[in-house]
Amino acid sequence: MSSGDHAAREYLLGFADDELCVGQNHSWWIAVGPFLEEDLAFSSIAQDELGHARMLYEFIDPEKSVDEIAYWRDQRGYRSAHIAELRCHQWPDALVRHVLYDLAEEVRWHALSGGSWERVAAIATRAIAEERFHLQHSLSLSERLLATAEGRKRLIPSFQRLAPMGQELFRANVDELRLVDSGLLSSSLTDQKNSWIKKVETLLETFNCEINWEEFQDAPGREGIRSSDFESLHAEMVEVLNLDPNAQW
Amino acid sequence: MKTYEVFLKKAGKEPFGHVGSLDAPDDHMALLFARDSYGRRSEGEQIWVVGRDHILAGNQSDLALADRSHKHNDGRRVSELRTSQRLKKELGE
Repeated sequence: MSSGDHAAREYLLGFADDELCVGQNHSWWIAVGPFLEEDLAFSSIAQDELGHARMLYEFIDPEKSVDEIAYWRDQRGYRSAHIAELRCHQWPDALVRHVLYDLAEEVRWHALSGGSWERVAAIATRAIAEERFHLQHSLSLSERLLATAEGRKRLIPSFQRLAPMGQELFRANVDELRLVDSGLLSSSLTDQKNSWIKKVETLLETFNCEINWEEFQDAPGREGIRSSDFESLHAEMVEVLNLDPNAQW
Repeated sequence: MKTYEVFLKKAGKEPFGHVGSLDAPDDHMALLFARDSYGRRSEGEQIWVVGRDHILAGNQSDLALADRSHKHNDGRRVSELRTSQRLKKELGE
C-alpha cells in the first residue's frame, strides 16, 4: 500500500494484529478442546484467522516477509486490542471471546468490503466468506449452551467480563474520520461499535444477561502498549522459529 | 450428544462415500461439525449427514454364508469357451 496513508496503515495493522493474536490464542486449544468435533472446528477457525492476518500484512507491507512482520516486531510495534491478546485458558472465556470477536469481525470486515479501496475490499470479501462459518459456529454453540442453566452459569460471567473489553476492537490510534474520508471504511468506528453492541445485546437479551458497557476502561492496545498476556502469547508464536530460524511449514 | 454418520461426494461421477462419524448435540450442529471435521479442505462438493439411529443395519449372519464363490463370476470361463470355439472355427476352415 502507499506508505503515505498513515491512518489506513495503522488501522489495518491493528486489525491484522487482532487476527494474529486471536488465531494464535485459538490454536492453544488444539488437542485440548472440550470434545473432538469442537477441537477440529476451533482449530480450523484459528487457521482462518491467521490467514486473514496474513492477507492484511501482505497488503500493508508487500516488501517484508510475513513472518518478519507477524513475529519479529518490537512489542511497541504491535497494535492489537487487549481482548485479542487475552490468554483464554478456560473454555467459557475462549468460547465467549470467539463469539464477541466474530460478531465484531462481521461488522469490521463489512465496513472494509463496502469501502472504496479495491484490494482491501477484495480481502474483506474473501474473509467474509469464511467468517460466515465462524459466526454460525460460535452462535449455534453458545445459544445451545445458554439455553441450559449450567451453560448460563458458566458463560454469563465471561460475557459480563469480556463484552465491555470488546469495545476496544473499535478503537483506533488515528482520527477515525480520516478512515471514512479516504474511503477505506464505509462506516465510522463509532457506528460499527454501536452495531456490534446491538448484536451482542440481541444475543444475550433472552438469557437475562445484562452487560455494563461503562465498565470498560479504555485499553491502550492500539497505541502500542501491550497487555500482560502478550508476552506469553508471543513466546508461543515464535517457539518454533526460536528452535529453528529456518523452519518451513 | 447424538452420533451421526457423514458421507461426502467428490466432484464428477463419484458416488457418495462414507467418510466417518461424529457426535453433535443436534442436527444443525451435526452439519456444522461435519463440514469442519470432514470438509474444511474442500474434500467434497456435497455432504450428507445421517443420524446413526436412522440407519437400518442388516443381520450380519445373513451376509456371511459359507461358500458364495459361484456368485463371483469374473467371465473367465465364458471367455475361455469363446476363444476355444473361435480357434476351432478358424482351424476348421
